[in-house]
Amino acid sequence: MKNENASCSTTIDISEQDVIAAMKDIQGYIDISPGDFREVFQVAYKHALQRIWNSLVAQDMMTQPVQCLGADMDLIQAATFLAEKRFSGVPVVDTNGSIVGVLSEKDFLAKMGLGHPLSFMQIVAHCLTNKGCMATSLRNHAVSEIMTTPAITAGPEITLGEISSLFIDKQINRLPIVDTDGRPLGIVTRTDLVQSYCLTR
Amino acid sequence: MNGYLQKMRGQGQSPPRVSLAEVCWSWLGSFLGIAAVALLHYKLLDQQGLMLLLGSFGASAVLIYGAVRSPLAQPRNLLGGHILSAVIGVTAFQWLGMYPWLAAAVAVSASIALMHLTRTLHPPGGATALIAVIGGQSVHKLGYLYVAMPVALGACIMLVIALVVNNIPKTRKYPEFWV
Repeated sequence: MKNENASCSTTIDISEQDVIAAMKDIQGYIDISPGDFREVFQVAYKHALQRIWNSLVAQDMMTQPVQCLGADMDLIQAATFLAEKRFSGVPVVDTNGSIVGVLSEKDFLAKMGLGHPLSFMQIVAHCLTNKGCMATSLRNHAVSEIMTTPAITAGPEITLGEISSLFIDKQINRLPIVDTDGRPLGIVTRTDLVQSYCLTR
Repeated sequence: MNGYLQKMRGQGQSPPRVSLAEVCWSWLGSFLGIAAVALLHYKLLDQQGLMLLLGSFGASAVLIYGAVRSPLAQPRNLLGGHILSAVIGVTAFQWLGMYPWLAAAVAVSASIALMHLTRTLHPPGGATALIAVIGGQSVHKLGYLYVAMPVALGACIMLVIALVVNNIPKTRKYPEFWV
Protein backbone atom coordinates (compact mmCIF):
# COMPACT_ATOMS: atom_id res chain seq x y z
CA MET A 1 0.00 0.00 0.00
CA LYS A 2 2.77 2.40 0.90
CA ASN A 3 4.46 1.84 -2.42
CA GLU A 4 1.21 2.46 -4.24
CA ASN A 5 1.05 5.82 -2.56
CA ALA A 6 4.50 6.62 -3.75
CA SER A 7 3.76 5.55 -7.30
CA CYS A 8 0.68 7.73 -7.66
CA SER A 9 2.70 10.81 -6.79
CA THR A 10 4.80 12.80 -9.18
CA THR A 11 8.37 13.32 -8.06
CA ILE A 12 9.83 16.69 -8.95
CA ASP A 13 12.29 15.64 -11.58
CA ILE A 14 15.41 17.72 -11.02
CA SER A 15 18.10 17.40 -13.65
CA GLU A 16 21.84 17.07 -13.19
CA GLN A 17 22.08 20.59 -14.61
CA ASP A 18 19.91 21.84 -11.74
CA VAL A 19 22.19 20.13 -9.24
CA ILE A 20 25.30 21.59 -10.87
CA ALA A 21 23.73 25.05 -10.81
CA ALA A 22 22.96 24.62 -7.09
CA MET A 23 26.52 23.42 -6.43
CA LYS A 24 27.81 26.60 -8.09
CA ASP A 25 25.56 28.70 -5.84
CA ILE A 26 26.85 27.00 -2.71
CA GLN A 27 30.47 27.77 -1.79
CA GLY A 28 32.95 24.98 -1.30
CA TYR A 29 33.65 21.63 -2.85
CA ILE A 30 30.71 19.31 -2.42
CA ASP A 31 31.91 15.76 -2.45
CA ILE A 32 29.11 14.08 -4.38
CA SER A 33 28.51 13.62 -8.09
CA PRO A 34 25.46 15.48 -9.43
CA GLY A 35 23.93 12.19 -10.54
CA ASP A 36 24.24 10.71 -7.06
CA PHE A 37 22.74 13.80 -5.51
CA ARG A 38 19.80 13.62 -7.89
CA GLU A 39 19.20 10.03 -6.85
CA VAL A 40 19.40 10.91 -3.15
CA PHE A 41 17.00 13.79 -3.71
CA GLN A 42 14.42 11.66 -5.44
CA VAL A 43 14.44 8.96 -2.81
CA ALA A 44 14.35 11.56 -0.02
CA TYR A 45 11.41 13.26 -1.73
CA LYS A 46 9.46 10.02 -1.67
CA HIS A 47 10.23 9.62 2.01
CA ALA A 48 8.99 13.16 2.63
CA LEU A 49 5.72 12.41 0.86
CA GLN A 50 5.37 9.24 2.87
CA ARG A 51 5.92 11.17 6.08
CA ILE A 52 3.24 13.72 5.15
CA TRP A 53 0.84 11.00 4.05
CA ASN A 54 1.25 9.25 7.35
CA SER A 55 1.19 12.32 9.56
CA LEU A 56 -2.08 13.83 8.29
CA VAL A 57 -5.19 11.92 9.37
CA ALA A 58 -8.90 12.24 8.58
CA GLN A 59 -9.52 14.20 11.76
CA ASP A 60 -7.29 17.02 10.46
CA MET A 61 -9.03 17.46 7.14
CA MET A 62 -12.64 16.26 7.43
CA THR A 63 -15.66 18.50 7.08
CA GLN A 64 -17.74 18.43 10.26
CA PRO A 65 -20.44 18.18 11.34
CA VAL A 66 -21.67 16.08 8.44
CA GLN A 67 -25.25 16.29 7.22
CA CYS A 68 -26.98 12.95 6.67
CA LEU A 69 -30.22 11.68 5.18
CA GLY A 70 -32.58 9.16 6.75
CA ALA A 71 -32.81 5.83 4.99
CA ASP A 72 -36.60 6.03 4.68
CA MET A 73 -36.67 9.54 3.23
CA ASP A 74 -38.50 10.00 -0.07
CA LEU A 75 -36.25 10.46 -3.11
CA ILE A 76 -37.93 13.74 -4.09
CA GLN A 77 -37.12 15.18 -0.68
CA ALA A 78 -33.62 13.80 -0.91
CA ALA A 79 -33.05 15.33 -4.35
CA THR A 80 -34.38 18.68 -3.14
CA PHE A 81 -32.07 18.54 -0.12
CA LEU A 82 -29.02 17.75 -2.24
CA ALA A 83 -29.93 20.53 -4.67
CA GLU A 84 -30.35 23.13 -1.91
CA LYS A 85 -27.10 22.23 -0.19
CA ARG A 86 -25.25 21.77 -3.47
CA PHE A 87 -24.07 18.36 -2.30
CA SER A 88 -23.23 15.73 -4.88
CA GLY A 89 -23.50 12.99 -2.30
CA VAL A 90 -24.34 12.42 1.35
CA PRO A 91 -24.20 9.61 3.94
CA VAL A 92 -27.43 7.81 4.82
CA VAL A 93 -28.23 6.86 8.43
CA ASP A 94 -30.71 4.43 9.94
CA THR A 95 -33.02 5.24 12.86
CA ASN A 96 -30.16 4.58 15.32
CA GLY A 97 -28.01 7.20 13.67
CA SER A 98 -25.53 4.68 12.24
CA ILE A 99 -24.36 5.05 8.66
CA VAL A 100 -25.88 2.39 6.40
CA GLY A 101 -25.06 3.74 2.95
CA VAL A 102 -24.14 6.67 0.77
CA LEU A 103 -26.48 8.43 -1.65
CA SER A 104 -24.87 10.25 -4.56
CA GLU A 105 -25.65 11.57 -8.03
CA LYS A 106 -24.39 8.29 -9.42
CA ASP A 107 -27.18 6.39 -7.64
CA PHE A 108 -29.81 8.70 -9.16
CA LEU A 109 -28.33 8.27 -12.61
CA ALA A 110 -28.31 4.50 -12.22
CA LYS A 111 -31.95 4.48 -11.07
CA MET A 112 -32.94 6.56 -14.10
CA GLY A 113 -31.90 3.63 -16.23
CA LEU A 114 -28.78 5.02 -17.79
CA GLY A 115 -26.14 2.65 -19.07
CA HIS A 116 -22.49 2.81 -18.11
CA PRO A 117 -20.62 5.04 -17.86
CA LEU A 118 -23.08 7.13 -15.87
CA SER A 119 -22.93 10.77 -16.87
CA PHE A 120 -24.99 13.93 -17.00
CA MET A 121 -24.40 14.18 -20.73
CA GLN A 122 -26.22 10.90 -21.22
CA ILE A 123 -29.34 12.52 -19.80
CA VAL A 124 -28.97 15.51 -22.08
CA ALA A 125 -28.58 13.25 -25.10
CA HIS A 126 -31.49 11.08 -24.02
CA CYS A 127 -33.85 14.02 -23.40
CA LEU A 128 -32.98 15.58 -26.75
CA THR A 129 -33.75 12.40 -28.67
CA ASN A 130 -36.75 11.11 -26.66
CA LYS A 131 -39.83 12.63 -25.21
CA GLY A 132 -40.68 12.58 -21.54
CA CYS A 133 -38.62 13.02 -18.42
CA MET A 134 -36.44 10.17 -17.23
CA ALA A 135 -36.57 11.42 -13.68
CA THR A 136 -40.17 10.33 -13.23
CA SER A 137 -38.93 6.84 -12.50
CA LEU A 138 -37.61 8.22 -9.22
CA ARG A 139 -41.07 8.95 -7.83
CA ASN A 140 -42.35 6.98 -4.87
CA HIS A 141 -39.06 5.46 -3.91
CA ALA A 142 -37.09 5.78 -0.68
CA VAL A 143 -33.43 6.63 -0.27
CA SER A 144 -32.69 3.14 0.99
CA GLU A 145 -33.77 1.63 -2.35
CA ILE A 146 -31.13 3.30 -4.49
CA MET A 147 -28.30 4.18 -2.10
CA THR A 148 -24.93 2.51 -2.42
CA THR A 149 -24.54 0.02 0.36
CA PRO A 150 -22.68 -0.98 2.42
CA ALA A 151 -21.10 2.42 2.93
CA ILE A 152 -17.32 2.59 2.76
CA THR A 153 -16.38 4.35 5.99
CA ALA A 154 -13.29 4.80 8.14
CA GLY A 155 -12.24 5.89 11.59
CA PRO A 156 -10.82 9.35 12.36
CA GLU A 157 -7.24 7.99 12.44
CA ILE A 158 -7.06 6.93 8.80
CA THR A 159 -4.11 8.67 7.10
CA LEU A 160 -4.07 10.90 4.06
CA GLY A 161 -2.24 8.20 2.12
CA GLU A 162 -4.79 5.52 3.00
CA ILE A 163 -7.69 7.81 2.09
CA SER A 164 -6.10 8.60 -1.28
CA SER A 165 -5.69 4.89 -1.99
CA LEU A 166 -9.32 4.19 -1.00
CA PHE A 167 -10.60 6.92 -3.31
CA ILE A 168 -8.69 5.43 -6.22
CA ASP A 169 -9.25 1.74 -5.49
CA LYS A 170 -12.96 2.00 -4.65
CA GLN A 171 -13.66 4.82 -7.11
CA ILE A 172 -15.44 6.91 -4.49
CA ASN A 173 -15.60 10.66 -4.03
CA ARG A 174 -16.37 10.96 -0.34
CA LEU A 175 -15.55 8.98 2.77
CA PRO A 176 -17.75 9.25 5.87
CA ILE A 177 -15.67 9.20 9.05
CA VAL A 178 -17.35 7.28 11.85
CA ASP A 179 -16.83 6.53 15.53
CA THR A 180 -16.59 2.98 16.84
CA ASP A 181 -20.41 2.67 16.87
CA GLY A 182 -20.66 3.63 13.21
CA ARG A 183 -22.06 7.09 13.96
CA PRO A 184 -20.88 9.90 11.65
CA LEU A 185 -18.18 12.26 12.92
CA GLY A 186 -17.47 14.02 9.65
CA ILE A 187 -16.78 13.42 6.00
CA VAL A 188 -13.68 13.64 3.83
CA THR A 189 -14.52 14.74 0.30
CA ARG A 190 -12.29 15.10 -2.73
CA THR A 191 -12.27 18.83 -2.00
CA ASP A 192 -10.96 18.21 1.54
CA LEU A 193 -8.32 15.95 0.11
CA VAL A 194 -7.17 18.51 -2.46
CA GLN A 195 -7.06 21.20 0.21
CA SER A 196 -4.94 19.07 2.51
CA TYR A 197 -2.47 18.53 -0.34
CA CYS A 198 -2.26 22.30 -0.75
CA LEU A 199 -1.61 22.78 2.97
CA THR A 200 1.24 20.32 2.92
CA ARG A 201 2.77 21.65 -0.26
CA MET B 1 26.34 -8.04 -20.65
CA ASN B 2 25.31 -4.97 -22.60
CA GLY B 3 24.16 -3.28 -19.42
CA TYR B 4 27.44 -4.22 -17.76
CA LEU B 5 29.50 -2.53 -20.45
CA GLN B 6 27.09 0.39 -20.53
CA LYS B 7 27.94 1.12 -16.89
CA MET B 8 31.57 1.71 -17.89
CA ARG B 9 30.63 4.69 -20.06
CA GLY B 10 30.07 6.90 -17.01
CA GLN B 11 27.28 9.14 -18.23
CA GLY B 12 27.21 11.40 -15.17
CA GLN B 13 28.90 14.77 -14.91
CA SER B 14 31.73 16.20 -12.86
CA PRO B 15 30.88 18.70 -10.10
CA PRO B 16 31.66 22.34 -11.03
CA ARG B 17 34.94 24.09 -10.24
CA VAL B 18 35.08 25.91 -6.92
CA SER B 19 35.63 29.65 -6.57
CA LEU B 20 39.08 31.24 -6.38
CA ALA B 21 38.52 32.17 -2.74
CA GLU B 22 37.89 28.52 -2.02
CA VAL B 23 41.13 27.57 -3.76
CA CYS B 24 43.02 30.10 -1.64
CA TRP B 25 41.61 28.78 1.64
CA SER B 26 42.42 25.20 0.62
CA TRP B 27 45.95 26.33 -0.19
CA LEU B 28 46.43 28.14 3.09
CA GLY B 29 45.04 25.32 5.23
CA SER B 30 47.09 22.61 3.59
CA PHE B 31 50.23 24.75 3.61
CA LEU B 32 49.98 25.28 7.35
CA GLY B 33 48.88 21.74 8.12
CA ILE B 34 51.66 20.04 6.20
CA ALA B 35 54.21 22.62 7.37
CA ALA B 36 53.45 21.72 10.97
CA VAL B 37 53.51 17.97 10.44
CA ALA B 38 56.59 18.07 8.20
CA LEU B 39 58.42 20.21 10.73
CA LEU B 40 57.64 17.64 13.41
CA HIS B 41 58.92 14.84 11.22
CA TYR B 42 62.14 16.56 10.13
CA LYS B 43 63.06 17.96 13.53
CA LEU B 44 61.97 15.16 15.82
CA LEU B 45 61.60 11.93 13.92
CA ASP B 46 63.99 12.35 11.01
CA GLN B 47 64.01 8.72 9.94
CA GLN B 48 63.47 7.51 6.42
CA GLY B 49 60.62 5.15 7.23
CA LEU B 50 58.66 7.67 9.23
CA MET B 51 59.07 10.21 6.44
CA LEU B 52 56.86 8.00 4.32
CA LEU B 53 54.01 8.79 6.65
CA LEU B 54 54.08 12.38 5.42
CA GLY B 55 52.66 11.01 2.16
CA SER B 56 49.64 9.75 4.02
CA PHE B 57 49.14 13.14 5.68
CA GLY B 58 49.45 14.82 2.29
CA ALA B 59 46.43 12.82 1.19
CA SER B 60 44.55 13.77 4.35
CA ALA B 61 45.31 17.42 3.61
CA VAL B 62 43.42 17.19 0.29
CA LEU B 63 40.34 16.11 2.20
CA ILE B 64 40.37 18.20 5.35
CA TYR B 65 41.50 21.44 3.70
CA GLY B 66 40.18 20.90 0.17
CA ALA B 67 36.90 19.00 0.60
CA VAL B 68 35.82 20.33 3.98
CA ARG B 69 32.20 19.20 3.66
CA SER B 70 33.05 15.65 2.69
CA PRO B 71 32.04 12.93 5.16
CA LEU B 72 35.49 11.47 4.51
CA ALA B 73 37.09 14.66 5.86
CA GLN B 74 35.35 14.84 9.24
CA PRO B 75 37.27 14.46 12.52
CA ARG B 76 35.73 11.09 13.20
CA ASN B 77 37.10 9.86 9.89
CA LEU B 78 40.44 11.65 10.06
CA LEU B 79 41.36 10.39 13.53
CA GLY B 80 39.48 7.11 13.39
CA GLY B 81 40.73 6.22 9.92
CA HIS B 82 44.38 6.90 10.69
CA ILE B 83 44.43 5.31 14.12
CA LEU B 84 42.49 2.16 13.30
CA SER B 85 44.47 1.66 10.09
CA ALA B 86 47.73 2.09 11.97
CA VAL B 87 46.69 -0.62 14.43
CA ILE B 88 45.77 -2.92 11.56
CA GLY B 89 49.01 -2.15 9.74
CA VAL B 90 51.23 -2.90 12.74
CA THR B 91 49.27 -6.07 13.49
CA ALA B 92 49.50 -7.22 9.86
CA PHE B 93 53.28 -6.78 9.89
CA GLN B 94 53.74 -8.55 13.22
CA TRP B 95 51.68 -11.55 12.15
CA LEU B 96 52.55 -11.78 8.47
CA GLY B 97 55.87 -9.91 8.27
CA MET B 98 57.64 -12.93 6.75
CA TYR B 99 55.48 -12.48 3.64
CA PRO B 100 55.70 -8.73 3.08
CA TRP B 101 53.46 -8.78 -0.02
CA LEU B 102 50.72 -10.55 1.92
CA ALA B 103 51.12 -8.34 4.99
CA ALA B 104 50.82 -5.26 2.76
CA ALA B 105 47.67 -6.50 1.06
CA VAL B 106 46.06 -7.59 4.32
CA ALA B 107 46.95 -4.28 6.01
CA VAL B 108 45.20 -2.20 3.36
CA SER B 109 42.20 -4.45 2.74
CA ALA B 110 41.52 -5.07 6.43
CA SER B 111 41.81 -1.40 7.29
CA ILE B 112 39.34 -0.47 4.55
CA ALA B 113 36.91 -3.07 5.88
CA LEU B 114 37.35 -1.89 9.46
CA MET B 115 36.94 1.77 8.50
CA HIS B 116 33.72 0.85 6.69
CA LEU B 117 32.40 -1.04 9.69
CA THR B 118 33.23 1.75 12.11
CA ARG B 119 32.03 4.55 9.77
CA THR B 120 35.49 6.08 9.80
CA LEU B 121 36.38 5.70 6.11
CA HIS B 122 39.31 7.99 5.38
CA PRO B 123 41.30 7.15 2.21
CA PRO B 124 44.73 8.10 3.59
CA GLY B 125 44.16 5.45 6.27
CA GLY B 126 45.02 2.90 3.59
CA ALA B 127 48.46 4.49 3.20
CA THR B 128 48.92 4.64 6.95
CA ALA B 129 48.27 0.90 7.21
CA LEU B 130 50.53 0.15 4.25
CA ILE B 131 53.41 2.22 5.63
CA ALA B 132 53.33 0.19 8.84
CA VAL B 133 54.36 -2.77 6.65
CA ILE B 134 56.59 -1.21 3.98
CA GLY B 135 58.16 1.51 6.17
CA GLY B 136 61.21 -0.60 7.03
CA GLN B 137 63.24 -0.94 10.23
CA SER B 138 62.49 2.44 11.75
CA VAL B 139 58.73 1.84 11.59
CA HIS B 140 58.86 -1.82 12.56
CA LYS B 141 60.82 -1.26 15.72
CA LEU B 142 58.21 1.24 16.98
CA GLY B 143 55.64 -1.53 17.20
CA TYR B 144 52.28 -0.23 18.38
CA LEU B 145 53.89 3.05 19.37
CA TYR B 146 53.56 3.84 15.66
CA VAL B 147 49.82 4.28 16.31
CA ALA B 148 50.25 7.05 18.86
CA MET B 149 53.37 8.64 17.48
CA PRO B 150 53.66 9.70 14.71
CA VAL B 151 50.21 8.69 13.40
CA ALA B 152 47.74 9.96 16.05
CA LEU B 153 49.92 12.94 16.91
CA GLY B 154 50.21 14.02 13.28
CA ALA B 155 46.49 13.58 12.68
CA CYS B 156 45.70 15.69 15.74
CA ILE B 157 47.97 18.50 14.59
CA MET B 158 46.31 18.46 11.15
CA LEU B 159 42.91 18.52 12.83
CA VAL B 160 43.69 21.53 15.02
CA ILE B 161 44.88 23.50 12.02
CA ALA B 162 41.76 22.47 10.07
CA LEU B 163 39.55 23.72 12.90
CA VAL B 164 41.38 27.04 13.02
CA VAL B 165 41.65 27.74 9.29
CA ASN B 166 38.40 26.25 7.97
CA ASN B 167 36.24 28.34 10.28
CA ILE B 168 37.70 31.70 9.31
CA PRO B 169 35.84 32.26 6.01
CA LYS B 170 32.08 32.79 6.17
CA THR B 171 31.54 30.20 3.46
CA ARG B 172 33.25 27.39 5.34
CA LYS B 173 32.54 25.56 8.52
CA TYR B 174 34.32 22.59 10.00
CA PRO B 175 33.48 20.03 11.09
CA GLU B 176 30.08 18.95 9.84
CA PHE B 177 29.99 16.54 12.77
CA TRP B 178 32.34 15.22 15.44
CA VAL B 179 31.12 11.70 16.10
